[in-house]
Amino acid sequence: MDRVINRFITILKHNGVSISPSETIDALRGLTHVGVADRETVRAVLGSTLIKDTRDIPVFDELFDIFFSLPGRMPTDAAPSDVLAQSTARPIEQAQHDAAERRTLLDDTAREDVRLDTERLAAFTPAPDPDRLDVPTLSHALVLNQHAALLDEVLRQVYHLHVKQAGRHARPGQLSPIRTTEEIDLQVSGGALHAVLNDLRDLGVDEDVITELAQRLHAQKHDLTGLLRRYLARGGALLRRAVPPLDPVPPVSTFTAAERHQMEELIRRLGRQMRGALSYRRAIDQRGHMHVARTVRNSLKYDGIPFSPVLARRRDERPRLVVLCDVSLSVRHTARFMLHVLYSLQSLFEQVRSFVFVSDLVEVSTHFAQMDIESAIGIVFGGTLIDHDASSNYGRALDIFYTQHLAAITRRSTVIILGDGRGNGNPPNAWILEEIRRRAKQVIWLTPEARGSWQLAGSDMPVYAPICQRVEVVRNLDQLGKVTEDLFRYAVHP
Amino acid sequence: MFDSIDQVIAALQGQQYICERKLATVVFLALKMQKPILIEGPAGVGKTELAKVVAGTLGRPLIRLQCYGGLDETRALYEWEYGKQLLYTQILRDKIGHFFNDIPDLPTAVAHLHRHDDVFFSEHFIVRRPILQALTAPEPVVLLIDEIDRAEEQFEAFLLEVLSDFQVTIPEIGTIVARQPPFVCITGNNTRELSDALKRRCLHLALGYPDEARELAIVRLKVPEISATLAQQVVTVIRRIRTLDLRKAPSISETLDWAQALLLLHATSLTPELADETLQLIVKYDRDAQKVRDQLPALLDDATAAEWQTNRNRADNLDLQVQRDRYRHHEAAYFRSRRDDS
Repeated sequence: MDRVINRFITILKHNGVSISPSETIDALRGLTHVGVADRETVRAVLGSTLIKDTRDIPVFDELFDIFFSLPGRMPTDAAPSDVLAQSTARPIEQAQHDAAERRTLLDDTAREDVRLDTERLAAFTPAPDPDRLDVPTLSHALVLNQHAALLDEVLRQVYHLHVKQAGRHARPGQLSPIRTTEEIDLQVSGGALHAVLNDLRDLGVDEDVITELAQRLHAQKHDLTGLLRRYLARGGALLRRAVPPLDPVPPVSTFTAAERHQMEELIRRLGRQMRGALSYRRAIDQRGHMHVARTVRNSLKYDGIPFSPVLARRRDERPRLVVLCDVSLSVRHTARFMLHVLYSLQSLFEQVRSFVFVSDLVEVSTHFAQMDIESAIGIVFGGTLIDHDASSNYGRALDIFYTQHLAAITRRSTVIILGDGRGNGNPPNAWILEEIRRRAKQVIWLTPEARGSWQLAGSDMPVYAPICQRVEVVRNLDQLGKVTEDLFRYAVHP
Repeated sequence: MFDSIDQVIAALQGQQYICERKLATVVFLALKMQKPILIEGPAGVGKTELAKVVAGTLGRPLIRLQCYGGLDETRALYEWEYGKQLLYTQILRDKIGHFFNDIPDLPTAVAHLHRHDDVFFSEHFIVRRPILQALTAPEPVVLLIDEIDRAEEQFEAFLLEVLSDFQVTIPEIGTIVARQPPFVCITGNNTRELSDALKRRCLHLALGYPDEARELAIVRLKVPEISATLAQQVVTVIRRIRTLDLRKAPSISETLDWAQALLLLHATSLTPELADETLQLIVKYDRDAQKVRDQLPALLDDATAAEWQTNRNRADNLDLQVQRDRYRHHEAAYFRSRRDDS
């Protein structure tokens, strides 16, 4: 049993769920208490012991359905598998859809060299391993997994994947240029399939299971070619896309002396106003209210006379800032400007997390903390960090923020979003903003566009605006100064 | 103690708490494995109630710790009772003088005193706050740590020792180990991320809105005087309202409030006027109320409502999510968008 569960956990991990060894042990201990007779019970046990984040629950449910059942038997009303789109489920659906096409392909691809880029490979490699050998029920899985070693071996014969490492590794999550792709030499040998099935018969496994398994294996073989074909096409698309070289000249900002002076003044003023919010924790201080417990305790040595009162006060706690800044072409001028302010704030606050986005979203806090202002802004606009030629996609940027950086937001955080809210018709994902608002102290949106033009040409501002506590139109330093001043006053005393 | 999950379901039902099997499984496991349960979910789905009914079914006392911003260990774990310490030293002054009567010199006196210096730092002078109470109770208890996400992150660190080993270390005294491991329920509204260390020590239970049949059963159970038709109408309308994009979707407690209110108004069936007048019971924000009011005819009318529902489905492509609650709606939408991306 532990083997099956461990495989399941491996798959969960492949899909981005983090599971610690102690949780694995809990899951196994839990199963010993309830047994594996009932599918939903097993689901509840695994769910409660392994999944500790509500965001992971849909992934878990989908994987559970797929892992502990045959895909053909999956309840059709349950809209199969958003989650596994990249890994298992799609190939299966694919397999059912264009079976004939694949059969011809199979002949061609008995031996085929395929170029895949590393990232896709990572998503792909788990697919043809024995993890995919799902059987109708858990008990069947248990039977089969007694002979896991055999299955592994045979499956290895079925799919020979020779992966040649070429050159350096690509960064995960990045499109890799041509030289970092890896070559995959794929052999599909049909005869080995029958060998597996024969071996299984010898082991006296239930005939039904073998039949199912045979179908699955065939389907998988078909899937594989379909899958590879799609990767091939995708890889081609990626390569084509990587061809136009990015503009290497960073449009580094320059400000006039007057502007610079005005900005410095603004920052100084802000700094003075930042008195910080009061924390709940009391710290011993020279001034403040009397700390009764400590005073009494202290007075014990003076025969109970409160000779040296101990004072304590609530300590100032500076607000935390989370800034999301759109740096696409449409708002570049304002963004440049905001980045300058951001840079100065970084030194002033307890914690500033800054993110820039166009379609992808990246954190730039460390760049801002370590570099001088010109090089920091140069990096943001330089094109190495983020693809400026993409059209801005607010929904996607929010999405990345939601999955990767949501923990940056606490109840003390003030979230500032700078952008024009033009997502180019992509889904706005306003619910993420709502979720951010729910967690943060306040959400403020600064946009360079006047309110009148929000309705024009596919701006998502009307969707985002009611969610934010404040939306301000900011077009020059004066306006920004006024807004930021207010903003920090409210951030401190809401 | 329970022997099976079905027994848990039956016992909770005996306490007027209707639950799904998933929840019962987690409760059963928590009792067997002696692990805390971390319950997360929207407000009003019965998170706190669960701890109460578990206490009821097991016949254990419930000790509740309500978390808030600024909660620290002196309020949650223990505190020294300074006044009492002081009082005792005053009262015992003569006794102490007497105690030193036949001591020849100061060093001997100090050495002598050393042997008794833990008198004032003993358990007698500790104020037991909820967590320590739960650990030192003579019989096993249910400890409810409510809305943990309201407390600061640092507070979670205090809990770690309690949650994994059911013990508290007090520097002056030593480690106090629970005589009987308490059944611990921690609830959270998911307003901030809890630390992994805390989550790892708990069984996690995401509590959402119940399905229609179960919600109906809850209404019939909690508001027994309500007529079958009205109960059905209330549940149907509430479930439809949940599919709207509201800031705060009505949860079970709102359903019950509404049913109770309609009963008090002697309503036999739900009319648009009645619904409009009692709307403030189910939606708590003006913007939400306006949204619901706009949709009210469609929400109430059965024939058009079905049509409305399908139109909505088509419009948002939410056919799966409509059946789910808004709480899980977020997650689903997220994964849908991820699929669109790839």
